[in-house]
Amino acid sequence: MDQFAVGLAIGVSYAMVLFLIAAGLSMTWGLMGIINLSHGTVFMVGGYVSLTVAELTDNFILGLLAGTVAAGIVGLIIERTTISRLYKQFLDQILVTYGFVYIISNATLWVWGPHAKPPYVPELLSGAISIGHLDFPVHRLAIIVSGLLLAGALWWLQERTKFGAIVRAGMDDAEMTGGLGINLRPVIIIAFFFGSMVAGFGGAIGLPVLGGVYTWLGIDILWVAIIVCIVGGMGSIQGALGGALIIGIIDTFGKMYFPQLAMFTSYLVAIVILLVRPRGLFGRKV
Amino acid sequence: MLTKERLFRFAPYIVIALFLVLWPPFAGSALVGLLTKIIIFGLLAMTLDFVNGFCGLWSFCQGALFGVAAYTTGILINKFDVSSFWITAPTAVLMSVLVACLFGFVALRVSALYFLVITFALGQLVYSTALKWTPITGGSNGLGGIPYPDFGFPISWSYISYYYLVLVICVICFLLLYRIIKSPFGLSIQGIRENEIRMRLLGYNTWMLKYISFIIGGLFAGVAGILYIHYNAAIAPTQVGVATSGLVWFIIIIGGAGTLWGALLGSAIVALLQYYISIFTPERWPIVFGACFVLAVMFLRGGIFPRLRNLWAKVSQP
Repeated sequence: MDQFAVGLAIGVSYAMVLFLIAAGLSMTWGLMGIINLSHGTVFMVGGYVSLTVAELTDNFILGLLAGTVAAGIVGLIIERTTISRLYKQFLDQILVTYGFVYIISNATLWVWGPHAKPPYVPELLSGAISIGHLDFPVHRLAIIVSGLLLAGALWWLQERTKFGAIVRAGMDDAEMTGGLGINLRPVIIIAFFFGSMVAGFGGAIGLPVLGGVYTWLGIDILWVAIIVCIVGGMGSIQGALGGALIIGIIDTFGKMYFPQLAMFTSYLVAIVILLVRPRGLFGRKV
Repeated sequence: MLTKERLFRFAPYIVIALFLVLWPPFAGSALVGLLTKIIIFGLLAMTLDFVNGFCGLWSFCQGALFGVAAYTTGILINKFDVSSFWITAPTAVLMSVLVACLFGFVALRVSALYFLVITFALGQLVYSTALKWTPITGGSNGLGGIPYPDFGFPISWSYISYYYLVLVICVICFLLLYRIIKSPFGLSIQGIRENEIRMRLLGYNTWMLKYISFIIGGLFAGVAGILYIHYNAAIAPTQVGVATSGLVWFIIIIGGAGTLWGALLGSAIVALLQYYISIFTPERWPIVFGACFVLAVMFLRGGIFPRLRNLWAKVSQP
């Protein structure tokens, strides 16, 4: 029973990290109709920058902020230089994000080198609490708490603010929204920037869960994030959260009990969802 | 009718054909090896051109279909001691076709964007299988020591003789694809690319047409895979994943989608680019590749081949 509880808690903490990257991906997917393949590398940049700043200043919070902002800036650069110029050419927009995956991945390799960097865990968050006779790391608890807080904040933004209403309207029917006199261009830019920042935050805070940061993290995690969006449905915070929880928990238990099949469980879930309910669990439209 | 105008118009193609046929015996092994690689990847890019440029499907799994055939050949030769080309080749192509049938069935249920994601996913599935199924696929090391094809009768293989085999097979594939494109079937899939709803209104079974063209793409990708593993003597998981699938996208964007020649031209450009950049900065090749990809999508979207073709048409008919 203890093992199940710890497994569940680990799954949820992993799910929180997945939520943080899936949220931004889901937003751009729903709002712009494209999959930002470079989102994973943006997440990774958040991780790398936060690590370096935290090590230099010995301040975890500063590292967190730096990683978040850096990721947001990278996302903004991608949007402003390429995506905004390819208005409505969906395939081309996806293709340029694919190109950026190579650029950013190799750039991080250039700057930070090929070796994986271990995570920086501050004094406050080190150590473990006990559940039964098993130990559960404190930093994972912190990840769960901050993830849930951020999820709540983002949900409030989505459901209870005018900005959120505009975003949702833009997802449902961009032309009509424009017809009502709402300029979606700045909304898209802000959503992109914001989504990248959230991903950066996820990269910064999620390193202990992921075991550190390495050059292929951007690509590896993107893949999982896409599955989360497929399962949960794109375009909503609840979709990102729901999909993240499902995939995070299934993946963790899969690794615990069927290590050989670990990778495949996620794919299978995604394929089943695509065949049965392509919209995803909370998706807005196919 | 062989008029002087026609000869002049087709001169570039004739020159290139002559070059491909006559030059290799005098060229070094490096150049012939490069040409072989260009032609093989040109063929793979042609399959993507067929599936995307002519049918409009955003397929991100050509590398995986290519890999299935390559791995099948390698597994048959290495793990099952079956060396006869007459067995390995059809089996490998059959495997690619089967996988394409499976992938196509799952992927065509959804719209274009999800089609891209699913083919991406399925491609990753093939990569993961190749990586994890170590007893059969050799794991992260892949399979090695694959010899040139064994036809049953003795052939003294060399890089030159293998180059000509590749050339002949690819020319045959090109001609087959060309015939398919010019046929009523080919025209109907181009119609789907232009406006699928209208095609459906005209009574065409667009799902079946898309499915068949996806399978055809898989078949020829399998051929490319077989040619590749005999050329490279080895196959590894990284070569059958998204990297290759993305590479052929780059090739047809730079070369020109919707024209089979563009695939060949794009393949040549990318191969030469990779060769020369790797001389200066091998570690930074991905950045160059990524930057060129982005620039090509933004500024060279139609591809270079159509521009060259129009240029030559203007020049040759004053």
